[in-house]
Amino acid sequence: MNEIALTALLLLVLFFLLGSGVWVAFSLLAVGMFGMFVFTDAPVGDVLATTAWGASNSWALAALPLFIWMGEILFRSRLSEDMFTGLSPWMNRLPGRLLHVNIIGCGIFAAVSGSSAATAATIGKLSIPELSKRNYPEKMIMGTLAGSATLGLLIPPSIILIVYGVATEQSIARLFMAGVVPGLLLVSLFVGYVIVWSMVNSEKLPAETTTYSLREKLHASRRLIPVVLLIVGVMGSIYSGIASPTDAAAVGVFLALLLSWYTGSLNKETFWDGLMGATKTSCMIAFILAGAAFLTVAMGFTGIPKLLATWIGSMDLSIYELLLALTIFFVILGCFLDGISVVVLTTSVIMPMVEQAGIDPLWFGIYIVVVVEMSQITPPVGFNLFVLQSLTGRNILNVAVAALPFFLLMFVALGAIIIVPEIVTFLPNNM
Amino acid sequence: MRGVLNWLYKASGWAAAFFILLICVVVIVQVVLNLIDKVYGALFGTAIGLTIPSYADFTGFFLAAASFLALAYTLREGGHIRVSLLLQLFPKKIQHIAEIWCLGLAGCMSLYFTYYTGRLVLESWTYNDLSAGMIAVPIWIPQSSILLGLGILSIAFMDELICVLKGGTASYDGKGENLLSKADAENSTIANQGEMS
Repeated sequence: MNEIALTALLLLVLFFLLGSGVWVAFSLLAVGMFGMFVFTDAPVGDVLATTAWGASNSWALAALPLFIWMGEILFRSRLSEDMFTGLSPWMNRLPGRLLHVNIIGCGIFAAVSGSSAATAATIGKLSIPELSKRNYPEKMIMGTLAGSATLGLLIPPSIILIVYGVATEQSIARLFMAGVVPGLLLVSLFVGYVIVWSMVNSEKLPAETTTYSLREKLHASRRLIPVVLLIVGVMGSIYSGIASPTDAAAVGVFLALLLSWYTGSLNKETFWDGLMGATKTSCMIAFILAGAAFLTVAMGFTGIPKLLATWIGSMDLSIYELLLALTIFFVILGCFLDGISVVVLTTSVIMPMVEQAGIDPLWFGIYIVVVVEMSQITPPVGFNLFVLQSLTGRNILNVAVAALPFFLLMFVALGAIIIVPEIVTFLPNNM
Repeated sequence: MRGVLNWLYKASGWAAAFFILLICVVVIVQVVLNLIDKVYGALFGTAIGLTIPSYADFTGFFLAAASFLALAYTLREGGHIRVSLLLQLFPKKIQHIAEIWCLGLAGCMSLYFTYYTGRLVLESWTYNDLSAGMIAVPIWIPQSSILLGLGILSIAFMDELICVLKGGTASYDGKGENLLSKADAENSTIANQGEMS
């Protein structure tokens, strides 16, 4: 049981560092250094410098600042407003009506922004006033937003999938493809839930008075064209094999600039704000990744992951039991850490176990992202909850209760991809 | 002195942004070249094979430069994430002590990191290590960008530590470095730090 004591000690150190407010990247570095100093004779400093250099000059990772920048540009443009006006006329007939705008709107915006908090903030800022003006129930407004904004993590291009792909040496293009069907599955689960809920609780929904003629509908849809072009441009270039994800990210930045120039929201100020914002965010993520890379190497020196993997192997857990344990572990971890840190931590310690158990790393990437999505709407730390809290002024528990049905739906989706792994693997394996 | 330091942090941030811009430009040029190649190949049967030599290497180097040069700037803007959930439960006095602990630890590690990266660069320089691509670049050149970024980060940490020890607040205080932002936090702040979530 020695390896367990070792692991527990390192975990304790990690939680102490994180809890005392040390920056995530430095906590990872410190645990790695501590582990190496105490348990090995390896030259810590030299390993640190070499690993950091090796981990940070990576071509695959270059997609990261570009996709973040694209999101920043779009965040400052009129894109989400256009989407709302373009989508709403079409949702009039469906039970639940404009509530679906939240879901579909988040789904589309998620596809181009790659970030769940940005999705919640942008779509929420527009839809909350519109929906509450029309007397839609507050709980459903917040719930649909909180739930569907997490799609930003899964629907490509997703920043978290890039991070996972780089950290575990999986093909990012294949990961993106793997995210498509599960993303659509979640969207349809959410839409289905809202339809059923609306049929049962039809008295709680306002009667929609505005009617649109087909002509008006088509006219409003004109505003969806730029978004659609952007998605087709970025995704199409990846899936058709013309461009790698890094190439597509640059194309995305170019198209986003074009789009925001066309709609008149591009000026000197928004350009530089967006670029500096992207610089900050990508620096933060890249440094955490460097820290995690070092931690992975340091763990390798101590031999802990191997020991743990053998230990888990010797317990003869079935894959389901292992996944259940990991899900609980991740949801708890996700209560205190953000998604990227969760993903990055797993690569150091958990990947050997996962591979030992014979789980496909590609599938595992999507699985972990869905779990991280769930953790986005679990209190006390869930980015989407904070965003909605600040948008609505309701306290975090109210928001969390509103989001609960959507949390459960994600759980259903998780079960579905565990039982039918082809939901994830079919597309990447057949393209 | 204050002015010089602030300029240093800002300038390194701008340099980092410039490298991201550069990545974007290089990749777009490469995509355009690919496109020309495809069209040419379709028209005349043989592709020219237009590429920017060692383009993957260069984007990697630019990325490393961008990531590390932005470290100090990101720190001061509150861009590096941390968990402040637990600390918020404690009185101000303890929060102040914890801040000193964080800055002290991170500062020491940053100095250590800088020292060993310095050794790495020196080694690459002494042995004249070259990058493996078509254009062989002496590897110490891109590596120095990391060294420079870490050096500036160390200075920034010492700067912050001195400010906090004097009883002041850190420059990033209240700028959205918290994982648990308060309800009144700006949406934009949350969106910014939320990019990764």
